[in-house]
Amino acid sequence: MSVDEDETRQRLKAAVHYAVGRMCQRMGEDHRRDFSRQVVAAIAETTFRQCDIFAKDLEAFARHAKRSTVTSEDVKLVARRSTALSIHIQNKSEELNQEQRDLKKKNTAKRRSRDTEEESRE
Amino acid sequence: MAERDAEVGFKKETVCKLLSGFFKEDRTRLSGDAVLLMTELLKIFVQEAAVRSQKQAESEDCDQVDIEHFEKILPQLLLDF
Repeated sequence: MSVDEDETRQRLKAAVHYAVGRMCQRMGEDHRRDFSRQVVAAIAETTFRQCDIFAKDLEAFARHAKRSTVTSEDVKLVARRSTALSIHIQNKSEELNQEQRDLKKKNTAKRRSRDTEEESRE
Repeated sequence: MAERDAEVGFKKETVCKLLSGFFKEDRTRLSGDAVLLMTELLKIFVQEAAVRSQKQAESEDCDQVDIEHFEKILPQLLLDF
């Protein structure tokens, strides 16, 4: 591994550690039970390695579907092992799709109103 | 209190770079939706790890969550994801 690659890896690890730390702190406050620094570091490391597995799975699923881009369908497959998680991810995906549809509708509506405005000016 | 309401989690950029870095082939890309869903999935992973450790600590009557509590819940956590 080159020095450059190693540094990006370290930076990514730090970013994961920071995010995990914040989430643990929030949950410690909510449930009145704090996490030791060792636990935060261990969860961060586990998450980092789990990401490796997720990424390789996602890539393999996309390849199997003869795509080179990982889509939400592949993520749904990654979350297949637990029923509740799978359902949650599917709902989230639906939500995202709905949002995008609404956004598109809004944009076309805006464009239409602008067009009519211009027409009336003419 | 606005900051308190905002959910803490991973940044989209972090997740994107993290996954891209682990891909075996350079030409594999990530769609925007996939990144958002993976962000959610990783958030749940960390939350599950934290809550299960807290439960373990609670059952052992400890005020602080320590590494041994996390060690005990780790195998099942990895099997669930």
